[in-house]
Amino acid sequence: MKRTISFVLTVALLLSTAAVGFAAPSKVTVWCWDPNFNGYAMKQAALVYNKMKPDVTIDIVDFPNSDAVMQKMQAAMQAGGAGLPDVALVQDFQIEQLIENYPGVLADMKAAGVDFTQFATYKVGPMTQGSKIYGIPFDSGSTGLFLRADYLKQAGLDPAKYQKNMTWTEVTALGKIVKAKINKPLIAFDSTDWTFVRMMAQSAGAQWFNTSGKLDLTNAAIRPAIATLKSMYDAGILYPTEGWNNWVSAFNNGDAGGLMSAVWIVGTIKSQPTNAGKWMVVPTPSLDGVKGAQNASNWGGSSWYVFDKAPNKAGAIDFMKSVWASKDAAALGFYNTILKGAGAMGTYLPSGKGSNYTAADEFFYNKQAVFGDFAKWMANVPALRYTANYNAWGSAISASLAKMYKGELKTPDDVLKDATTVYEQTISQ
Amino acid sequence: MRSRGAFERYLNRSGWIFVAPAVALFAVFMAYPILSSLYLVTRKWKGLTDSFIGLGNFVRMFKDSLFWDSLGHNFILMVVQVPVMIALSLLFAVILHHGVRKFRGAFRLILFLPAITSLVAYSILFRILLQTNGLANNIMLDAGLLTQPIAWLNDPFWANVTIMVALTWRWTGYNMIFFLVGLQNIDPEIYEAAEVDGAPKVMQFFRITLPLLLPVILFSLVTSTSGMLQLFDEPNILTNQGGPANATMTAALYIYRQAFVLSSDFGYATSMSYVIVLLAGVLAIIQIRVLGGRNK
Repeated sequence: MKRTISFVLTVALLLSTAAVGFAAPSKVTVWCWDPNFNGYAMKQAALVYNKMKPDVTIDIVDFPNSDAVMQKMQAAMQAGGAGLPDVALVQDFQIEQLIENYPGVLADMKAAGVDFTQFATYKVGPMTQGSKIYGIPFDSGSTGLFLRADYLKQAGLDPAKYQKNMTWTEVTALGKIVKAKINKPLIAFDSTDWTFVRMMAQSAGAQWFNTSGKLDLTNAAIRPAIATLKSMYDAGILYPTEGWNNWVSAFNNGDAGGLMSAVWIVGTIKSQPTNAGKWMVVPTPSLDGVKGAQNASNWGGSSWYVFDKAPNKAGAIDFMKSVWASKDAAALGFYNTILKGAGAMGTYLPSGKGSNYTAADEFFYNKQAVFGDFAKWMANVPALRYTANYNAWGSAISASLAKMYKGELKTPDDVLKDATTVYEQTISQ
Repeated sequence: MRSRGAFERYLNRSGWIFVAPAVALFAVFMAYPILSSLYLVTRKWKGLTDSFIGLGNFVRMFKDSLFWDSLGHNFILMVVQVPVMIALSLLFAVILHHGVRKFRGAFRLILFLPAITSLVAYSILFRILLQTNGLANNIMLDAGLLTQPIAWLNDPFWANVTIMVALTWRWTGYNMIFFLVGLQNIDPEIYEAAEVDGAPKVMQFFRITLPLLLPVILFSLVTSTSGMLQLFDEPNILTNQGGPANATMTAALYIYRQAFVLSSDFGYATSMSYVIVLLAGVLAIIQIRVLGGRNK
């Protein structure tokens, strides 16, 4: 008996190895990092593609986080491309660094015939280099201010009155009322990261680097953004957390009455079913007195990249083109599916008419159709130039902002000066 | 005479065959990387682009205050945590060896268990326990030990304390095992003689236990010191990439960030690694000279 089983197992093993061996040309390997988000979206894309081409296997490899993908990719690129997958997901803020440091590694998707006018412009910018456009834009990071409508009510306020374009001054006033009435800080934020201030500045079109990639902090929105953050912090209406998990638990447990985040956080918010009916999302507040300040900004978002030396480059390009950049009904239906299934809002413009954009969402206060709102705001997001040194700058200013919360640095100029010193040393050419 | 020479040559040959695999592995995985990294040190190597800059990486390092700050953090952690940990390990070892009769194995297991937990897993656990609204603060607040929560991860001073506490938890049991073995190798007759002479326990510890354990203590010191210079997982995960505001940034973490996160600058990262290796070597030599002198 035992022998029969082991014989069968051995044969099965041999056959499966052989199958992999034979199927290699029609396999597309994809690296991504979140099985509930981008991994889920890829899986749905694979289902749609397999209806067109049943013999192609889309092999989705999950990594613990985006850093892990970057690290393994860099090691493979150093090794001349050995071990690279066909497609990998890269955060938008890291792609310019990758393109500059590893020239010629990615496949030009424009040359492959993708029509980039059909994607949101601010997503295409970072992946463009001269006449070449690498990659297929994935999700939007359109932002909004999430507020607990029930907390506003407890504080004697009418939530409906705040569902409008506000300025940060108005939000600060609101925060002070909530703090005084029910003793809850209004906004939970990750105090180890500069994202909050960056979102505020981006809403007014702030750039941190000039067109040649040099750090340039002269933009008129930068100092007001830092000053606004500091005044909110000093007013006690912010709930500082240490990193991501702490932040999530702070707003899901109700330690704070809200958060600034992007459309992709919707899934995380819904993961706390007891909060159903309590949340509402209002437009990103704008910076007072800054010219061109919008009620829209962006946080995060990533895109798919095919490697030039990919084992199955042609197959990967065909897959990406037929599902991620196609007006085919099945492809557009796919975008509609991942919007509802994972809160993944695509940036392929023709997909914006999907039914899930306008569907009432029972989870939100007054059944707000949040995805429709985020999509509306997305159209006004000013494009951000990341450049190759965005990471180094973000790391430097995050540390300086932390010193500001402690009171070691007082003014926005102090913060920028401190961060610039560290930045210059870390990237020193 | 002649036949003996041939025999010796034969012995030599088979000896070489026996060590060949080890030598080959050493050549491929140690010697080659070290030599090829020596070449890297002189290059400005960003991603796939690469050019000769001589000692440029060292000039840059000299001016890079974050690198020196990181090294400083390594030294603060080393100077404070390593002695505390060694003292604790010694204390536990002596108690287990001389004091505890029952459940000795169980205690040994409890103390050693942290040393076999994954660095990442325990860092994440400590992180969850120590966040501002975490279990540690809540318990102390409820018990009235604190009036307001301690920012274990968000205050530069407490973040360093957090790392030291975590390291002590992780490595005390590990070092204790060496001391236990060392204690078992001390002849009980020496203690008996001391008893007969009327030496009190404390004097026995300082006059017998400590001197005879010196080689083991030296070993623990050298490995802990070099481990401390390579400290990476705890500041990366527990205090969120060396936070707050780089207060727990260590040299190894900074090297990693230069190579893989900030700029793909492998040349600069390698140059910094060389400095760390040299420092670890110098420190080990000093420790061996100072503590090992009596053995020679």
